[in-house]
Amino acid sequence: MEIMHKASSSLSCKISFFPSPDNIVSPRTLATPFRHSSASSNSQLQQLQLNRSKDYRPARSPLRCTASDSVKRQEMAGKDGQDSRIQKISSAIRVIPDFPKPGIMFQDITTLLLDTKAFRDTIDLFVERYKDKDISVVAGIEARGFIFGPPIALAIGAKFVPMRKPNKLPGEVISEEYSLEYGTDKMEMHVGAVEAGERALIIDDLIATGGTLCAAIRLLERVGVHVVECACVIELPELKGRERLGDKPLFVLVNGA
Amino acid sequence: MSAYRDEDPRIQGIKTKIRVVPNFPKPGIMFQDITTLLLDPKAFKDTIDLFVERYKGKNISVVAGIEARGFIFGPPIALAIGAKFVPLRKPRKLPGEVISEEYILEYGRDCLEMHVGAVEPGERALVVDDLIATGGTLCAAMNLLERVGAEVVECACLIELPELQGRGRLNGKPLYVLVEYQ
Repeated sequence: MEIMHKASSSLSCKISFFPSPDNIVSPRTLATPFRHSSASSNSQLQQLQLNRSKDYRPARSPLRCTASDSVKRQEMAGKDGQDSRIQKISSAIRVIPDFPKPGIMFQDITTLLLDTKAFRDTIDLFVERYKDKDISVVAGIEARGFIFGPPIALAIGAKFVPMRKPNKLPGEVISEEYSLEYGTDKMEMHVGAVEAGERALIIDDLIATGGTLCAAIRLLERVGVHVVECACVIELPELKGRERLGDKPLFVLVNGA
Repeated sequence: MSAYRDEDPRIQGIKTKIRVVPNFPKPGIMFQDITTLLLDPKAFKDTIDLFVERYKGKNISVVAGIEARGFIFGPPIALAIGAKFVPLRKPRKLPGEVISEEYILEYGRDCLEMHVGAVEPGERALVVDDLIATGGTLCAAMNLLERVGAEVVECACLIELPELQGRGRLNGKPLYVLVEYQ
């Protein structure tokens, strides 16, 4: 049974997603107006056309592009080599307005995963930071933390521990409840996955309010693990998640403002 | 075909790391828990290496992973073979425009979704999940990819439950697994 539907009902025009194979279309032609207006956007456009011969067009009407000019990205400070990788990573992330509900600008990392170089760069940036830090545990938060955590864990020789929604893990678990905007949710970890004294990283694709990361920190600390740092691809600084982590350091690659 | 039959020396180490949890999620089911494998860096690395050795140089441009445990194994394979990773998700998780494929469960139905535009016609794809049971989910995954004109080269899982005959449900598509649980 085939079902086609739009995630957002407010799209007002259709875009063809299947051009002929030799037609190289850069998604920047749709996305550029509302990403940022820096002088580097042209070179980014060229960069994308060079790097992405199989392009992914964002599912957005051109009419909405000009309306959403408020989305801008601030790259993390760093060396020149790191800067160009981060720029590519940032521009590979797609923003979907009004998902999952009106007013939310959803940071979609699935487009980053389609850009093989940018995905590899993302992992490399974390691995470079953590590889000689004696980290034995990478904990990843379901489900997008499962995409970034394992490649990092494999590269630094750490174990990977999935932190899951309730009733998914089959063995004995410990649970931590945390607050949502409305109500609460629970995060679980297998008993025995980690041992007291281990040094851990926590990975997720994005930090918003910090509630989920906080729950993950508490779970690990309850069993005597030292959480060295939380690492995310994207931070939404307006939501002040960083403050909510208290004394726990946070490392991110890009800000989604 | 499975690596188990080839008796690659790494297979035994992988097999011993998978924990079987009886009566989960309900009585009578012997649940194959791969989280214990993930706690052994060498066994986890061997797992990925076995898939990468099989698929690199085969011109595969897409690795599709089925939520959620396919997200653990798919990306490392994709990164190593230079393919893109495409998450196949439960309904309403993917934020952009999607195509959906419904499939039958023991009781009722479920749905798998993929982003429009993630995969282009003519691309060669792998589908990755931790385990194949009845094959229903893998079938839905293959259908999604084929509907957008991709070629599913193979389905790859760590574990097969042969009694459930999932292999035969894949419309003739090849299945590669590392271990079988009888």
